Amino acid sequence: MYPAQVGYYRPDSVEEALDFLDSNEGKVLAGGQSLIPMLKLRILKPKYLVDIGDLKELSFIREGEVASIGATTRHSELASRKVPGLEIVQETASKVGDIQVRNMGTVGGSLGNADPSADYPALFTALDATMVIRSKKGTREVKAGDFFKGAFTTALEPSDILEQIKVPTYKGYRQAYRKVVRRAGDFALVGLALLLKMEAGEVKDVRISFTGVGERPHRPLEAENALKDTKLTDGDVSRAMELAVKGVNPPSDSRGSSSYRREVMKRLLKNTLEEMRGAS
Amino acid sequence: MQVEPGQRVRIRVKVNGVYYEDEVEPRKLLVDFLRENLNLTGTKIGCDTSTCGACTVLLNGKSVKSCTVLAVQADGKEITTIEGLSSDSKLSPVQQAFKDNFALQCGFCTAGMIVQAHYILSEKREMTEEEVRDMIHGNICRCTGYQNIVNAILDASRRMRA
Repeated sequence: MYPAQVGYYRPDSVEEALDFLDSNEGKVLAGGQSLIPMLKLRILKPKYLVDIGDLKELSFIREGEVASIGATTRHSELASRKVPGLEIVQETASKVGDIQVRNMGTVGGSLGNADPSADYPALFTALDATMVIRSKKGTREVKAGDFFKGAFTTALEPSDILEQIKVPTYKGYRQAYRKVVRRAGDFALVGLALLLKMEAGEVKDVRISFTGVGERPHRPLEAENALKDTKLTDGDVSRAMELAVKGVNPPSDSRGSSSYRREVMKRLLKNTLEEMRGAS
Repeated sequence: MQVEPGQRVRIRVKVNGVYYEDEVEPRKLLVDFLRENLNLTGTKIGCDTSTCGACTVLLNGKSVKSCTVLAVQADGKEITTIEGLSSDSKLSPVQQAFKDNFALQCGFCTAGMIVQAHYILSEKREMTEEEVRDMIHGNICRCTGYQNIVNAILDASRRMRA
């Protein structure tokens, strides 16, 4: 399979890339692990590819009260780095695709692609991360909750470049990213990002976000609120399971029916909460 | 670097220690560049959808699926293919272990499987069976059921530590 004819531009800086995108119809290429398959299937036929994959200024992991992750940071780099207070990022990155995909694919590329079953959208939604987006007009910040507009649709305009993701740290939280797949390497049937803070046997804070259950990541705030200040008894967990799937209508496809996905959501939440409760 | 649609661009890559230059269209995939332009046909095209791993090569020392990398993305970089793993007529420890453990049947996945095995052993010398299985899950074999492949990689890991 060959992509359709396409032009190619390799800038030496983000500034150059933005200039080019401002006056040409281009698609930003980072690692290409989502984009190239779509070019090969000819779902996308851009005039130019703007290759930012090797721009060093976009590849970084900076620790801090609010950490920042450069958009072209490879999954494999995130998977091999423990950032204090963001252990879940490492865990999630190490579960994306397979090793070869992780060596090439980038965090920004995956976020920009916004596959409804991808891992990072749920992760960064749970983490309340902020996307820093640049264009010729300037730099703007968009919260993860507003960034994902629908399946394969984000707040990014064609002439925008996602520069970095700012992520508040969650020290003292138990953190886990879990997903269920039919076969190794598949996109998630359902994925769950969960952060839980316990103090004196009570839930101080909890953040829940699912992938694979709709067009956008699903953060069930009602379930989060119901868990707060509880002792996380079996009854509390059951209530949260029901609230987590309330109003959710996951897709049905060859990998699983809608009702099955709802069951998987509940089970993932239950198992992960129980695991965290046990690990005091 | 700017290339118009339909035009070609000169790229330079170092493959298995040798520099090559050639002109390619931006849409040319790395695997096709290796096979068609450089006649390095050891690297196979299996699924052509970045699922099966038959096209695995090392790009700057990291394993990637060359059916999902453009040749222009590899410009200026170093590539190792299956042809670059053995020296003269001597098999690498991984290749020898694949042979000794009957870790192939039809052989179509083997080049990618061996390159991936080289990569994971360069990252982590000592592995459990479970780790090996996880680290090769981007490589599909439809013949062996993986048992002998896993045995071969564990065997290679022992040999390389000895």
